[in-house]
Amino acid sequence: MKPGKPLTLVAALLAISLGVAAVSLAASIAAKTSVQDVSEGLTCQCGCGLTVANCNHPQCEFAVPVRTRIEGMIANGMSRPQIIAWFRTQYGEKVLSAPTTEGFNLVAWIMPFAALIAGGLAIFFAFGSWRSKAAVAPVAVGAFDPELKRRLEQELRERI
Amino acid sequence: MPLIGQLALALALIIAFYSIVANVIGARRGIPTLIVSARHAVWAVCAMVTVAMGALWTSLLQSDFSLEYVSSYTSFTLPTFYKVTALWGGQQGSLLLWTWLLTVFTAIVAFQNRRRNPEIAPYALAVLAGVAIFFLAMLNFVTRPFDMLSAIPAEGQDLNPLLQNYWMAIHPPSLYTGYVSASVPFAFGAAALITGRLDDSWIRSTRRWAIFSWFFLTLGNLFGARWAYEVLGWGGYWAWDPVENAAFMPWLVMTAYLHSIMIQERKDMLKVWNLALIGMAFGLTLFGTFLTRSGVISSVHSFTASGLGPYFLTFLLVVCVLYSGLLIARVKSLRTPAEFESYLSREAAFLFNNLVLVGIAFAVFWGTLFPVLSEAVRGVKITVGPPFFDKVNAPLALALIFLMGVGPLIAWRRSSLDNLRRTFTAPAILGIVAGLCAFLAGLHQWYVLSALSLAAFVLGTVVAEFRRGVSARRHMVSESAPKAVVNLIAKNNRRYGGYVIHVGVILAFVGIVASSFFRVEVKKSVKEGGSFYIGPYELVYLGLTTRETPHLESAIARVEVFRAGKPIAVMAPAKLFYKRPQQPATEVAIRSTPASDLYLVLAGIDDNTGMVTFQVFLTPLVFWLWAGGLIMALGTVIVMWPNVRERAAIGAAVRAPAALEFDAQTVPGGE
Repeated sequence: MKPGKPLTLVAALLAISLGVAAVSLAASIAAKTSVQDVSEGLTCQCGCGLTVANCNHPQCEFAVPVRTRIEGMIANGMSRPQIIAWFRTQYGEKVLSAPTTEGFNLVAWIMPFAALIAGGLAIFFAFGSWRSKAAVAPVAVGAFDPELKRRLEQELRERI
Repeated sequence: MPLIGQLALALALIIAFYSIVANVIGARRGIPTLIVSARHAVWAVCAMVTVAMGALWTSLLQSDFSLEYVSSYTSFTLPTFYKVTALWGGQQGSLLLWTWLLTVFTAIVAFQNRRRNPEIAPYALAVLAGVAIFFLAMLNFVTRPFDMLSAIPAEGQDLNPLLQNYWMAIHPPSLYTGYVSASVPFAFGAAALITGRLDDSWIRSTRRWAIFSWFFLTLGNLFGARWAYEVLGWGGYWAWDPVENAAFMPWLVMTAYLHSIMIQERKDMLKVWNLALIGMAFGLTLFGTFLTRSGVISSVHSFTASGLGPYFLTFLLVVCVLYSGLLIARVKSLRTPAEFESYLSREAAFLFNNLVLVGIAFAVFWGTLFPVLSEAVRGVKITVGPPFFDKVNAPLALALIFLMGVGPLIAWRRSSLDNLRRTFTAPAILGIVAGLCAFLAGLHQWYVLSALSLAAFVLGTVVAEFRRGVSARRHMVSESAPKAVVNLIAKNNRRYGGYVIHVGVILAFVGIVASSFFRVEVKKSVKEGGSFYIGPYELVYLGLTTRETPHLESAIARVEVFRAGKPIAVMAPAKLFYKRPQQPATEVAIRSTPASDLYLVLAGIDDNTGMVTFQVFLTPLVFWLWAGGLIMALGTVIVMWPNVRERAAIGAAVRAPAALEFDAQTVPGGE
């Protein structure tokens, strides 16, 4: 195989994969609203600390009727955001299982990625300063020292 | 017994104070007798706390209800096994267990360092004793395990039914062992800062402790997830609950630390960062306990919310301020000429790995605390639940898995394009082919496809690395392939043990992704003889039997499972009714195979109609989460296995300068 071939093959396969991912992403976005999907967006108010989808009380007085209600709302053609918004008006923001993406709540979503970017920048600048300080010594090319070769082989025998 | 226990705790507190004073003065003034005396004090503290543990355990086993703790967490009818585990079923007992582990580890450290690290060991022991003093003060003055009741009840209140499970017997001790053992590298880091001995000897001396801590944090998290899976009856194992998060964050930071110290050992870089990481890891263990004990954030795991929060918060703040102050004061001395040549190098990959690990830890921390912040700023109580953590952490997890494949194989200093091509072409092709196969098999979620591709890529890199090592061995010394694998691991246990851990992580990751995306749930009410389907299985309800013990009543359903018309198993989910406290609980039935788990919950019984309701989950590949966890544990054991060459390196690094060395045999009362 020519030296460039594996890279070309990898690039081609990568392109196909990205295409596949894009198609599947579009498909998943277009997927139908389900009870499971909606109830994962709501927090159970029985004190279990889980979402309505996962409440572990089989006869839960909150999760069970809410799931039935969601089923009815989906049957009436309501979308996930509409259903979630309806529950929010009924129970307040605490019923949502994740912060909204508006106002102060945006900070919740932005902060982890902002911290990550700040960390990435810190690494970038640190690398820059380390790189400029590092003196790249030219490598002397010459005859291979027999003693060095003997030590290298001994080390290899010990380590491998 | 209670009197003996309380007295032992009081003595332990006094002796711990003495050990700090003796260690610090002995080290500052160079008085060997005082240092030996301090070491004996450390062992005496351990002995005293052991006596207190023994006293509480004896009281629990004897059902001595004159003791408030015993009457609150046990009953006469509680099985003996749970009387033993009730020691960590309540707050006072948990803190006692924590303190005992801390004093045992401190005693071991004192023994290990009786002839090593003469400059920093006394200060490290003083730091550990300082932490022990905080816990002992709690046990002596704030939350006493040996408080007596004025009126002795005829029967105890019993252990919370959710805690009457064998996973709960091993989950808290494992997690506490992980938490507490992180104190050892932290104490040595602090001691290095205090003394100014800032080379990597403190890291080499405590590397095994850090791995030990990581090992138990891994097991603690795994056992906790398994407990949630078996006991909570919702078919899941991780709910991003604040207490779960509190256990997960130290694990993430310790993982970052274990990778980062490799750079310091190899290139003498990142000294400040490593000290910061171990400080963070220790702070997070305290933060976890603060969350569990304070009740500041509601949690499904807060079995013992109490007024301890302010004390822990204060201690945490004091530790943070002192440690940060020391770190800042030493920053100039910690700066070393760093050497960095290329982004295509192992040091770069490890730094990005650290960034992602700490980034995930921060995201979890932020999400856990955001409800408190929101309430403080807006006065509105909100919930930050699984959707937030899943969305934020999912892309970071992919980045981490990618780096896990790249980091161990890329060269130090600089990798050439040719080198990268030789190393990564085959694993990359494997990853892409795996993704395409998954797509053709009908998996169309982009995250699943990416996760599977990356998992295959990382497994490919590990297999390639083993293959290279084995062929090198067979070339150098002719031996069979299996023998070459064994010798390769034995001679380079740190490196190849690390690869085994990576394989475990990948298997667990695949299990998590598959079980999160493809879990199927069915809820059905049936009469005796009725049946229903889930996936390829037909479930036939055979009937209900009841059983009664002095402790509980149970209703057990028998369900026969068929696949393709053939009977394959009989499962028996149950509903339990504990008599004291009167509380219902579920006992799930799980049929686990490498392909999927069939998870059966007896959700309801209608006595009037004879109908029984079942909630059934079919969860693919969740088996691999547990198997992966155990492989991670196995890999950690391989890494920790004593290695002659490494011992020699540690010995050389921590050997004391002749002038400072003192021979214990010349010291009166010395060993």
